[in-house]
Amino acid sequence: MASIGLEKSGAEVLLMGNEAVARGVIEAGVGVASAYPGSPTSEVIPAIAEVAKERNIYVEWSTNEKVALEVAAGASFAGIRGFSVMKQNGANVAADFLVNLNMTGIGSAGLVIFISDDPGGGTSNNEEDSRTVAKWLDNPLMEPSSAQEAKEMIKWAYEVSEAVNLVTFVRGVGRISYTRSNVVLNELPDKNKPKPFFPDIWDMNNPRKSRFASGPFPIFHKPLHEKLEKARTIFETSSFNRYMGPEKPKLLIITCGACTSYCIEAVEELKLKEEIGILKLGTTWPLPEKLVAHHLISAKKILFVEEMDPFVEQSVMELAASLLPATAKLSFFGARSGHITPYNELSTDIVIDALSDILNVAYRGRDIAYENLSREAAKLVPHRPINLCPGCPHRATFWALKQAITLDGRNGFLCGDVGCYSMGFSEPGYFQSRTMHAMGSGAGVASGLGKLKQFGFDQPVLAICGDSTFFHAAMPALVNGVYNNSDFTLLIVDNSATAMTGFQPHPGTGQLATGDPATVVSIEAVCKAMGAFVEVCDPFDLNKTTDALLKMMKKEGGTKVIVMRHMCQLVKDKRRIPREYRMHVDPSRCLADNCGCNRLCTRLFGCSGLIVNNETGKAVIDEALCAGCGLCSSICPANAIIKEAN
Amino acid sequence: MSDTGKGVKELFEEVINQGLCTGCGACITGCPYLVDHEGRIVLMDKCTGADGDCYKHCPRTFLDRDAISRTVFGRSYDDGEIGQFSEIFMARSNDPEIRGKGQDGGTVTGLLIMAMEEGLIDVVACTRMNKEKVPRGYLARSRSELLHCAGSSYEACLALQAYRSLPKDDLEKIAIVGRGCQIEAVGKIKQIPPQNSPAPKNIKLSLGLICGWALSQSAFHPYLKGICELSNVSKFDIPHTPHYSFDIHFNNHPDTMSLRLDRIKPFINPACWFCWDMTAEFSDISVGSAGAEFPGWNTVIVRSTVGSELVLLANRKGILESRSLPNHRLENLKKAALKRKNAAYENIVKKTGNDEDLLYLKTLPGAIAERYSGNNE
Repeated sequence: MASIGLEKSGAEVLLMGNEAVARGVIEAGVGVASAYPGSPTSEVIPAIAEVAKERNIYVEWSTNEKVALEVAAGASFAGIRGFSVMKQNGANVAADFLVNLNMTGIGSAGLVIFISDDPGGGTSNNEEDSRTVAKWLDNPLMEPSSAQEAKEMIKWAYEVSEAVNLVTFVRGVGRISYTRSNVVLNELPDKNKPKPFFPDIWDMNNPRKSRFASGPFPIFHKPLHEKLEKARTIFETSSFNRYMGPEKPKLLIITCGACTSYCIEAVEELKLKEEIGILKLGTTWPLPEKLVAHHLISAKKILFVEEMDPFVEQSVMELAASLLPATAKLSFFGARSGHITPYNELSTDIVIDALSDILNVAYRGRDIAYENLSREAAKLVPHRPINLCPGCPHRATFWALKQAITLDGRNGFLCGDVGCYSMGFSEPGYFQSRTMHAMGSGAGVASGLGKLKQFGFDQPVLAICGDSTFFHAAMPALVNGVYNNSDFTLLIVDNSATAMTGFQPHPGTGQLATGDPATVVSIEAVCKAMGAFVEVCDPFDLNKTTDALLKMMKKEGGTKVIVMRHMCQLVKDKRRIPREYRMHVDPSRCLADNCGCNRLCTRLFGCSGLIVNNETGKAVIDEALCAGCGLCSSICPANAIIKEAN
Repeated sequence: MSDTGKGVKELFEEVINQGLCTGCGACITGCPYLVDHEGRIVLMDKCTGADGDCYKHCPRTFLDRDAISRTVFGRSYDDGEIGQFSEIFMARSNDPEIRGKGQDGGTVTGLLIMAMEEGLIDVVACTRMNKEKVPRGYLARSRSELLHCAGSSYEACLALQAYRSLPKDDLEKIAIVGRGCQIEAVGKIKQIPPQNSPAPKNIKLSLGLICGWALSQSAFHPYLKGICELSNVSKFDIPHTPHYSFDIHFNNHPDTMSLRLDRIKPFINPACWFCWDMTAEFSDISVGSAGAEFPGWNTVIVRSTVGSELVLLANRKGILESRSLPNHRLENLKKAALKRKNAAYENIVKKTGNDEDLLYLKTLPGAIAERYSGNNE
């Protein structure tokens, strides 16, 4: 891959949307970039980090999104452009700081957040439209429709941010972040940044720039709204808002972001370019009302095409109401009419269906025979349920946990959290997790459940969090448990990486975002200092781990921690750590479906490195998938799974 | 005669959830699904197997006493009060060390140590109390290990899982010591060879313990823990004199804690009220206390050829001191065994509400069953 920060101006390179964003950050002359990893945005920081030294940029993985935004704001206060990137959940975490930052205003240098939402929630544990956060907190908002536009928007967002003295949002979705396309690069600015200086409080000539503390609020809230109006004026003439189509369209599509392509394709497919106009908005909050009003009045039917919440739809409807009676004869279609689903990803097909219905146009993309054949072909695809990787230490943790909870016999249960181990609520984690919400919520919910004894609650309570999640948000919940003497056991599954989002380092790994060495923050030392009762286990020692879990569940009162430490198999692979064992199954010992086994390994244990030989019915190792971790040999009741040191 | 096509699901439906589990441990076959955890049978996960040894060898799923008798003794079931036997007498060990450790006369320990020293057996699947006096299944392979296993806890424990823990291809000569229900399970194992445990032909000796009932470990042990320092206990005893009591003797002081038996009875495993077999009728030799009249002596019932030969050898080697059992003692024993059968019959019919459905005794020949119906004292 070409290094995104070093390619020369004018070059056309194939970039992932997230890399285009990173290039935009570099072209904008940003000095400080910070984030907590979260798909679909996790590739932005590593792309910047790769050229950080070369381009004189400070880049960091922060412990959470709020801290990340605070770090970037610090730069802005001292006159250095700051950048932060987060997924939709991150916007919620950062919101508390952001609402206050909007009151005080940013520093003299711009501050931009790139947020990527996840319609359909393919890489998330929720589906949320973060554009509402911009509206809620009064921030200018832009939505790129391509990687190229994302790069350009990031640069322009700094100009807007500095013009209105507010954090500016550039909001993408997974399709923008992950799609690779050709991007034309622009020139790189001077590496040297202005010398940062935190303004002197006695600078009476410019008192607002020397103090970043808000209140009294009637004085601070009013200018915030004025700033937004200023942004609206800037947005009215933005070239990121484009109209494509006839002067007087039969139907006007108003769209934004990734949906722009679906609309263009749908109109082309229906061969209705002469009749349908597309108003593609690049700036969606505050709405460029004059521009939109001009196009509204030229059409009779309006269709809104946007993913998730009817955000633009509602703004435009509000505008249309204010323009009465000029808009009285317009018909509106979109989420409200049921033509566009306000959840999940959209597609060209959905837009075609909506247009065909509204305009009463017959459309058949493929003939029936083809459709039928494709449906038949779909049945040939083998069922591949979601699973933990072969060699994953979480499988060992969940297995030991299942054993311990069952042996304990008091209906113990696990409060789940966000990470690879989220799979604890389904088959790969043996259905052990019973709750799953935000980062660190497992420990928080457990802290509450652990206080219900006075009402007769007698089930053992456990919670789980990853090493990175521990630093992100589980620490306050753990302190809460210790302080309030809540009876629960927190399992911190330390696999030496933020594995779910791509193995980013965190405070426990001893490595910085740039790969340079860092101070190791010891999870067990932190937990001990908090006052928890702490043990460290290697989950691959299933018996010891099961015993430790049983002991912790039995231990009355107080908050307990087990650090389950075993490196992520993929991190091992990345570091070229050789496989520990060569595995094979002795077919003469394998009991298969017979009494004494009933296919424990392939039916319940569920590692994809173990499969059934269809002829013999016995288990066999799938050499292509087996990670050689050796875990399965300790669960085989017949000692038929043999591990040999590699 | 086995109900085929049944597994752990039916074991729970028909036995465990019905309060019929005697806690013998035969179902703890070493499979990953049923395990012994602190004396409890725990179902670890869903087993879909429909041909389970757990079901087949449980003495409370179905029990064909005639078929087992034919397998074990080569003859049809003796439906007398105390089952088939060739001789009955009183005995005690000649070895003072063994006598000191044994519950009564040390006959069981003495016979096992001799059998091991003579090379007749290699390993004994029996019960051993830990420091906290919790009994657990145990594999003893030496005189000293056997001496540690002597003495009774009066608690039901899943002792047969000790035999189950031996690998299938184990070639050791095995002895098994157990209560009536456990010896019934051993009989079933001999009748229906196990799929994953050592072959029945390797079970060279089964010694039965005469047993009126056993205490439920999960209920009784916490109670016991609350009233005394268990690590200091030297012996539990029900001496039958001067009146029935449960006595706890200690290592560190001479005073005995004596509990009225009425206080102990609520802890009896309810499954024991459905037991037909007080004297372990399918053993090679059954051994019990000789009662209040003869403290320090055992009652010994010799049933099989293996049993006779072992007793003969013991006499020849001077291992046992023996004397004849007075007639009234034999009559008392028979009376007690009959009372147990009558009570079992009555309790079973009460449970099923139907004298056609005798639960696990469904194969009890009609003639035998009839003898007990309406014959309750």
